Amino acid sequence: MAILEIQHLSHVFPNGTIALDDVNLSVESGEFIVIAGANGSGKTVLLRHMNGLLSPTSGKVLLEGVPITKDLNHARRKIGLIFQNSDNQIVGQIVSEDVAFGPENLNLPREQVDKLVQETLEAVGLSELASEQTYTLSGGQKKRLAVAGVLAMRPQIIAFDEPFVALDYEGVVQVLSQIVALHKKGHTIILVTHDLDKVLAHANRLIIMEKGRIVKDGDPGWLIDEVEKYGIKKPYGGRRVGTMTWLK
Amino acid sequence: MAEITLFHYIPKKTIIHQMDGRLKLVCMILFTMAAGFARNLYDLAILTSVLFMIYMAAGLSVKRFMIELKYFFILAGIIIGAHSFTVPGTAIPGFPIQRITWEGLNSGLLLSWRLIVMIFIGAIMTGTTSLLQFKNAVEWFLRPLPFIPEARVATMFSLTFVLIPLILDQISEMMDAQKSRCIDGRKDPVTRILFLVRPLLFHAFMRAEEIVQAMESRCYSEIRTKPKFKSTLNDWLVLAFSIFICFIIWVD
Repeated sequence: MAILEIQHLSHVFPNGTIALDDVNLSVESGEFIVIAGANGSGKTVLLRHMNGLLSPTSGKVLLEGVPITKDLNHARRKIGLIFQNSDNQIVGQIVSEDVAFGPENLNLPREQVDKLVQETLEAVGLSELASEQTYTLSGGQKKRLAVAGVLAMRPQIIAFDEPFVALDYEGVVQVLSQIVALHKKGHTIILVTHDLDKVLAHANRLIIMEKGRIVKDGDPGWLIDEVEKYGIKKPYGGRRVGTMTWLK
Repeated sequence: MAEITLFHYIPKKTIIHQMDGRLKLVCMILFTMAAGFARNLYDLAILTSVLFMIYMAAGLSVKRFMIELKYFFILAGIIIGAHSFTVPGTAIPGFPIQRITWEGLNSGLLLSWRLIVMIFIGAIMTGTTSLLQFKNAVEWFLRPLPFIPEARVATMFSLTFVLIPLILDQISEMMDAQKSRCIDGRKDPVTRILFLVRPLLFHAFMRAEEIVQAMESRCYSEIRTKPKFKSTLNDWLVLAFSIFICFIIWVD
């Protein structure tokens, strides 16, 4: 059974803009999905529906067969969302405090919160910065902290909204290594990006969106030649999908 | 611009740093009250000596304090000067400027010294207490008060400190961007302020919306894990010492 299922999902903003138009999607456990599309194609709105941050105009989102609206907290624990701008996701002044934010919201015992924070910081390689003020971190470190904040809630699916925006080469490599490591550990990854050449080699599924609809869904190797029709830059040089990564 | 912080937490492992945040907050309030009670320069000298010892015990830099507070010292000088000339009393014999009085000088010194002592207390508190400790202590004190949602206050407290450096950075960037488009050529200060404030408010509201969504996605709730406190014998001794000093100054 699919871990996450989206059925006939539509979202219309109050000004009449159609952000999502009858979207159907099924995500299997352990998949690495890249969602690409031009600006305004509805990628971010789709991610926010997966996390129950937006209410659909019609349609529904099912997590393990149950509508996420039945228990939003459960859905948000299971589907972690990493926002495009990490600065807006970081709510603690101190690194460890920010990681603890999610587990504290779940009212877990203090000892368990401390253990989760310690394990998560180790997992993302930020243990040495645990007592640092969050605003002093680099872009890549902030993104890893945002990942840690979500990981501390032990999600099954992690959705990334444009994770490489405004990062330098080192930052992209740090974040991409983190994402690939999470996938290897068994997390299901859903990643929204324009930069296919940075990540596509690791994905086993590419979804292309246009005007709020899913227009292509399949193997990245099959779809890569079609991406430019939908306003997405195809990596230069006729490269194979297997070479589309910034990891060595 | 985010780096401009008069009062900055300096992580160390001294007794003062490791003190229970709640007791440290009480000590700070007691010393502030003592500064308010001080009626003469001797009281302030005792208080300053005690605070100086605590400052040294906390391993904080005196040089840094002096550099960061240079403008406050100028302000203190202005207060002393203003009082010396305006408070009526006995003129200082043999002083070249006739209008300066003993009473004025004393009152100016008392007021400006008190101001410096209060800043000194603030510097010790912020230099030795992480914002997390401070927030937890405030939350703990608010807990028994009715009609005050302490968890919400603590979250607001936390968010304020997270956002201030980001907003300062944004202001700095916007000012630079406007300078690069020759805003200096506009002489009307109101127009210049409006050009800065309008986009700043717009971005602040957009950011607030985004933060709310980010907090919701992490299951924000006011029924949350409570902070844990640990107070040692040392902490209680420091508190007893603070009460003693406050008492001496109050009795004096």
